[in-house]
Amino acid sequence: MKAKGERRKTAGGMRKGSRRSAVGGQRKAVSSERSAPRILTRAEFDRLIDELVAKCAVYAPVAVEETGKLEFRRIGSSSEVKLEGLADVGVVGQLGLRPKELLFPQCEVLFHFSPSEPGRMVEPEPPQEQVLFGVRPCDGAAVAFLDRFFSGRSDSSAPSDIYYRARRERTTLVGLACNRPADTCFCRAVGGSPSGTTGLDLLLTDLSDGFLAEPVTEKGAALVADMPVASQADMEKKQRLAENAGQAITTTIDTASLKRRLDRTLVSEGSGPADAVWQALSLPCVNCGVCTFLCPTCRCFDVTDEEFRGRGRRMRVWDSCQFTLYSRHASGHNPRATPHSRFRNRVMDKFSYTVAMVGELSCVGCGRCISACPNGIDIRETVETLLKMLPE
Amino acid sequence: MTANPYRPIPVRIEQVTIENEARDLKSFELSFVNEEHRKGWHFVPGQFAFLSIAGVGEAPFGIASAPSEPLLRFTVKRIGTFTTALHELDRGSIIGLRGPYGNSYPWDLMTGRDVVIVSGGFSFTTLRATLVHILQPENRPGFGDVTVIYGARSPGELLYKEELKELEKRPDLRLVICVDRLNGADWPKTEGLVPNVLRQVAPAATNAVALVCGPPVMIRFTHPVLKELGFSPDRVFLSLENRMKCGIGKCGHCNIGPKFVCKDGPVFSYQELLTLPQEY
Repeated sequence: MKAKGERRKTAGGMRKGSRRSAVGGQRKAVSSERSAPRILTRAEFDRLIDELVAKCAVYAPVAVEETGKLEFRRIGSSSEVKLEGLADVGVVGQLGLRPKELLFPQCEVLFHFSPSEPGRMVEPEPPQEQVLFGVRPCDGAAVAFLDRFFSGRSDSSAPSDIYYRARRERTTLVGLACNRPADTCFCRAVGGSPSGTTGLDLLLTDLSDGFLAEPVTEKGAALVADMPVASQADMEKKQRLAENAGQAITTTIDTASLKRRLDRTLVSEGSGPADAVWQALSLPCVNCGVCTFLCPTCRCFDVTDEEFRGRGRRMRVWDSCQFTLYSRHASGHNPRATPHSRFRNRVMDKFSYTVAMVGELSCVGCGRCISACPNGIDIRETVETLLKMLPE
Repeated sequence: MTANPYRPIPVRIEQVTIENEARDLKSFELSFVNEEHRKGWHFVPGQFAFLSIAGVGEAPFGIASAPSEPLLRFTVKRIGTFTTALHELDRGSIIGLRGPYGNSYPWDLMTGRDVVIVSGGFSFTTLRATLVHILQPENRPGFGDVTVIYGARSPGELLYKEELKELEKRPDLRLVICVDRLNGADWPKTEGLVPNVLRQVAPAATNAVALVCGPPVMIRFTHPVLKELGFSPDRVFLSLENRMKCGIGKCGHCNIGPKFVCKDGPVFSYQELLTLPQEY
């Protein structure tokens, strides 16, 4: 009883029978009795956000003053959250909204040290509980991929990455279905869906007059447990929106055939005819690496030390296989010395290597690399050419 | 909290040995600062570890000592930022260590078979560990004939010279040390490039396993000779060194196709390498 009383106290201002400790629970699949979709008016939604803000870090799409573009920012109040039009991917764009950074920061301190005390290392404080609102289904799928890659679960020879895991265990992902995908979206071609729930804890669908909230995990269910259950009409409306969104994505990729073709090029003897294909495809590529930094499944990092006035820290910082230095040995020898070999490595990683490593493609069809490429390289066209030019 | 795989454990430099005339190769012999770390450290020849200097960074190196030896040895060429900083350290300095990482030489396959070791330059380190391990009195009966071909550019560039001179006397080991040019030196006795010397020595391939480690150019010319001698690709093993940052299959740098040198290697059979892009 005491614990309950305390909970009430910390969640001051909440209604009777309210959401209790909605964050920090297990990411296990939602039980059937808690899986019923709920309905949230904007007022309910705002109340949910404000309750969470009092308890943990809440990130949501916010219109950034300088650019007017939406970005995930830590918010202090529901009034900052911009959800209107968010389900319209073409208008909002993808580039500003990057949940990856909140689970796998671009720079992350591994530990602090002092060079005058060799051997003494202090790890940073554990990360805070965080809830992310407005995560796109493709990004949810990307987080599910990162979970597998960093966990070592599907690959017992590699240990779990404790820094990623610490953040992930303290994160709740609230997705928002894409009602109107952008013309760069192709999630359905790579096993996703504009209303997919993979990797998410709760999926919201914008029904114009409110949000439909579908629990995916117990963590997600806890957020909306006291909201009214959605009506049949709400469900039908969601169904129509999801179907329309799905139909808007027309790209298809025979990923199995593509992997077979790519795998045939994995030979060490000579360059072969496939090399000419890669050279032609990579011609516009300047190896700037923007595709890899924006890619929600790209996860390479460098480890580097910083020291200033007797205080030091070892950090990990995003890196990109598109850069020459990425693979260059200390001797100067570089296994991927040519620009096209680096271009190939990225495409192979997405459609072949990670399937071999953890059993999953690492392209979720978000289309960020298409929007951001300074030279107009479109991964869909790249893949189409590979399917045409490489023998099965 | 589970053990942090990125966190190095403290080790003390007990001994520093300059290994070559150019004075850019030094061996560092290390002891564990904490007894519990020493007890928890188990490795197999062929594995590698990261050495770490706070404020400078870290880098991976093959373990040059055998598990039976009291001190952990790394032989390091001064070539970049980290190795330059390491070369400046003296006995008594505390540095960091994490590992051991990677697979090892194929000990199960090697057991009961002849072992042929082919090595060039300063990559002899993990093969020295392998050789010392095989030659342990309790281990030696488990292997057939052992042949070692080890070459360097010049006599002054050979690693572990005193030890090699002792090993040359052993009746249970065929050790051929060669240099590209003798330049009038009276030791070693053989002049020639490693692949050519290998052809002359011609160890029997039947029931043998070959372990190869050396610079890319040596590896390129050694393969055809091993093939001539009758070694099938699944009996030839190479130890690779790609740039790497984490050692545990996360940072991405050392990939060769879908394999990571750090956790799927560093030892690969030639057979396996034939199915991977030539990115090493």
